[in-house]
Amino acid sequence: MLKKLIVFLLIATLGYTLAVTLSSIPIGKNRIGSIENPETVAAYYLDKSPNDLKVANTITAVVVNFRGFDTLGEVSVLFLAATGLASILYRKEEEEEEENIRHISHRLNLPSSSLVQTGAKILFPLIIVLGIYVFIHGHLTPGGGFQGGAIIATGFLLMLVSYKGFETNHKVMVWLESLAGLGFVGVGVFGLVKYGSFLQNTGWTGNLNDLISGGLIPLIYIFVGIKVATELTNILDILLNIKPRKK
Amino acid sequence: MVITPVHYIVAPLIAAFAIPLLTKIHKDAARIVPGIVLFYNVVISFFLMNHIAEHGMISETLAGWEAPWGINLVVTPFTGFLATMVSILGFIIWLYGYRFKRTLKGGEVKFYEILQMMMIAGSIGIIITGDIFNMFVFIEIVGISAFSLTAFYRSRDGAEAGFKYLLIGGFASAFLLLGILIIYTQTGTLNMAQIAERMPEVPQQMKIIALVFFLVALGIEAEMFPLNGWAPDAYSQAPSPTSATFAAVVSVAGVYALIRVVFTMFDVEGVNNYLMVMGFVTMLIAEIAAISQKNLKRMLAYSSIGQVGLILISFGIGSNLAVFGALFLMLNHSVIKSLLFMAGSYFIYNTDDKRITALNGIHKKLPIVSFFFALGSLAIIGFPPFSGFWSKFYILISAANEKYIFLIIGILLVTIIELTYYLRVVGRIYFAKEEEGEPASHRPSINALVAMSSLALFIIVIGVYPDLIMPHIQNAADALLDKTNYIQQILSVKN
Repeated sequence: MLKKLIVFLLIATLGYTLAVTLSSIPIGKNRIGSIENPETVAAYYLDKSPNDLKVANTITAVVVNFRGFDTLGEVSVLFLAATGLASILYRKEEEEEEENIRHISHRLNLPSSSLVQTGAKILFPLIIVLGIYVFIHGHLTPGGGFQGGAIIATGFLLMLVSYKGFETNHKVMVWLESLAGLGFVGVGVFGLVKYGSFLQNTGWTGNLNDLISGGLIPLIYIFVGIKVATELTNILDILLNIKPRKK
Repeated sequence: MVITPVHYIVAPLIAAFAIPLLTKIHKDAARIVPGIVLFYNVVISFFLMNHIAEHGMISETLAGWEAPWGINLVVTPFTGFLATMVSILGFIIWLYGYRFKRTLKGGEVKFYEILQMMMIAGSIGIIITGDIFNMFVFIEIVGISAFSLTAFYRSRDGAEAGFKYLLIGGFASAFLLLGILIIYTQTGTLNMAQIAERMPEVPQQMKIIALVFFLVALGIEAEMFPLNGWAPDAYSQAPSPTSATFAAVVSVAGVYALIRVVFTMFDVEGVNNYLMVMGFVTMLIAEIAAISQKNLKRMLAYSSIGQVGLILISFGIGSNLAVFGALFLMLNHSVIKSLLFMAGSYFIYNTDDKRITALNGIHKKLPIVSFFFALGSLAIIGFPPFSGFWSKFYILISAANEKYIFLIIGILLVTIIELTYYLRVVGRIYFAKEEEGEPASHRPSINALVAMSSLALFIIVIGVYPDLIMPHIQNAADALLDKTNYIQQILSVKN
């Protein structure tokens, strides 16, 4: 009882201190400063992305160009998560046979209703198109590679859930995944070779608000979109195909 | 300049993305490509170290935006020293593990090699980045690889260790992100040099709260007590080359992150004392726990935590000599502990369980491996002809200079504890009665022998001629302590 009281008092004190201090952060106030004398990085980004990079969506400019190296890191985090998941959930060959039988019977036990199946079939292409739209227009409208990729993965999830026999084409997935990753790094290396700075954008940027504008930024977001879509689909595929372990 | 610091990250990333395709062309590509990449990292290290010796530190801008606006990679004598150390050890660990994983099937090798390579590349990233959020991303990369590798053998204990590591690592990431968030609201920048420049204007309370978040998050990565509950399990359940990587590479990166944040970013009084006290407690508890271990890898894991404690104490003392000693100890700890894990894993490989009692008289079966293990044990305790002696010696001198009598007593006491549990194992290996006469079924392969001998050679050569490496460590210590120069150099080019 005393122990609980002490813990409670400790947490209350800690919470009070945190609340008082953190409430002094003026969230929502405009603290960006002027464009001429940028105090924070925000002011600089807001000025540079429409004028220099010709990218209407400043967030995209920050994510893909100013902090593109972080995005490359996050893409590899996702890649490593999929790799790690696959490495932990791989099946040894001797376990395969018996489990295939069990898997098939498991599959036959639970067919989803024809309503779900028909609905999924109609929605699937639309979801894919929406996902592609989101990452192609990443530099113009809200959204981008990560969001578009996640939308595409939900399309695959719908199919995987509705049709027990639905399988993604692993060969195509592996190729797409690797090539998209290499494409992103390749764009970075292009900047390094041509301009001496990794991921540097080209000088040719087009007009603000055009579909083809912003130099290499849309290209990178397309690669990110494909990479995220394949990666998340792989993760879903691995997780949905976990077999019960042999006794 | 042809080779730039970004090559450290780009080469492993290209390899990681390409390996799934390359294995379709040649089935051994997954084993060989990481070796080439890690060797290339060693080449980069030597090139960059030469470059900074002639032209001063490098601050590479990425995506064409100068330091405070974009992300920058910084190679100073300090970060260059650590990056060189990590890349050389990464390559040696690859060499050691090249045929060790021969029993695994194709797909498993691919996953293992990718994760192992990215863990080393991510550690180098943590060390060379000049941006606090970028450091967070690299900590994520190292973390995700480390969680997966801990559970790689899919055993029950491995899964438990991996899950524990995942949970506590998740806390670390969340806390780190909160700390970064608070710092960003106060300074409006993520560049470490600019944060350091603006830190004096931040209100004291805010500074302390942010620092606490950083200390908790990075304390988990650096295995500081009481945040190191994951470490013994993870070290003992992971594949052996991975355990060696945890000790030699990941813990170095964790300690680096902690030191960079405390020494460069923040200017809070008294945090040095905190490091010293926590380091002392970490060291004492870990070494006492190590005595009672029955499992060889767990014993080595607790010993690693103890060494990290000593490193933190030494950084906490904070004088130039103490930082010098701490960096020297980081180097020694990485080299010696990798050797111990490498040799120890051959013992485990040849006996049924991981218990120390199974090692009775094993030197007749595995003479060379036993020799390396004994050498490593003596070196890590700090016997004079080996490199471990010098680091402990300098740390003791620096403690004496600052008149920390209790530290000297503690360190010497811990040395006696180390002596007890290491010599207990060495005694079993050499002097205990052999149980069965069966010959060893798994003899060390040539590449593993080359890897272990190169580490052993380093221990002896540096033990006899410490002057070979001491100027580099001195430069590194000077670079770490010279905060104003770091800030000026990075922020000098503003557009």
